[in-house]
Amino acid sequence: MTRAVDNQPVLGALRQWFDPEKQPTVGRTPDYRFSLANERTFLAWIRTGLALIAGGLACAQFLPPLSVAHLREIIAIGLLLLGALVALRAVDHWARTERAMRLGQELPGSKFPAILALAVTAGALLLAIAVLIKAVQ
Amino acid sequence: MTPDPDRGAAAERTRLAWRRTGLSATAVALLAARPSFRPEAGVLAWLIAALAIAGWAAMITLAYRRARGLGSVPPRPGRRVIPAYALLAAALAALGGLVVML
Repeated sequence: MTRAVDNQPVLGALRQWFDPEKQPTVGRTPDYRFSLANERTFLAWIRTGLALIAGGLACAQFLPPLSVAHLREIIAIGLLLLGALVALRAVDHWARTERAMRLGQELPGSKFPAILALAVTAGALLLAIAVLIKAVQ
Repeated sequence: MTPDPDRGAAAERTRLAWRRTGLSATAVALLAARPSFRPEAGVLAWLIAALAIAGWAAMITLAYRRARGLGSVPPRPGRRVIPAYALLAAALAALGGLVVML
């Protein structure tokens, strides 16, 4: 299974983001209900990304300075990066799913939800440790 | 021939999903614009707020135009709106980076 279109991994993927319409050469138009379901999944991921971004902005503005120097800023930037990553991954996954539906192939699986869950868990644990250190001191 | 009754209400659910996403974008834009409400806010804070509101307006406009495609029979699936919306969301994240630096 290749995620690249033609032989240009990055350019091909970008082109696929912007016009899956321009690829009617492959497969045929799926039932609109499937496409709309794919679109709603994309929107749910975008909301996840926006929630992470909002979390980062809230951290930067509402947290008091933490015991570890710049920890607040690091958490905020980490959440913002994660939010941007989720948003960009959402389009990529949407485009690949759309293409798979056109070709009648199996829908692309993804390790991303598991990775995101682990990243969020790790962040929460780090923060809990920082709070505990502060409480002990 | 009778028009497609859209049994699963797919178009309506998709429209509501766009609306929910717009509300999330509103929260992000307000948080990004918040530093400019401080009395001692500088030019950078104002610039960030202006960009955040502009990005928010673009997102709301995209969702509004998307609703028209969903209203037709049968509903048209979204195409270019989708990468544009995701890029705007990522741009809000980049703007958030500036807010952290303030």
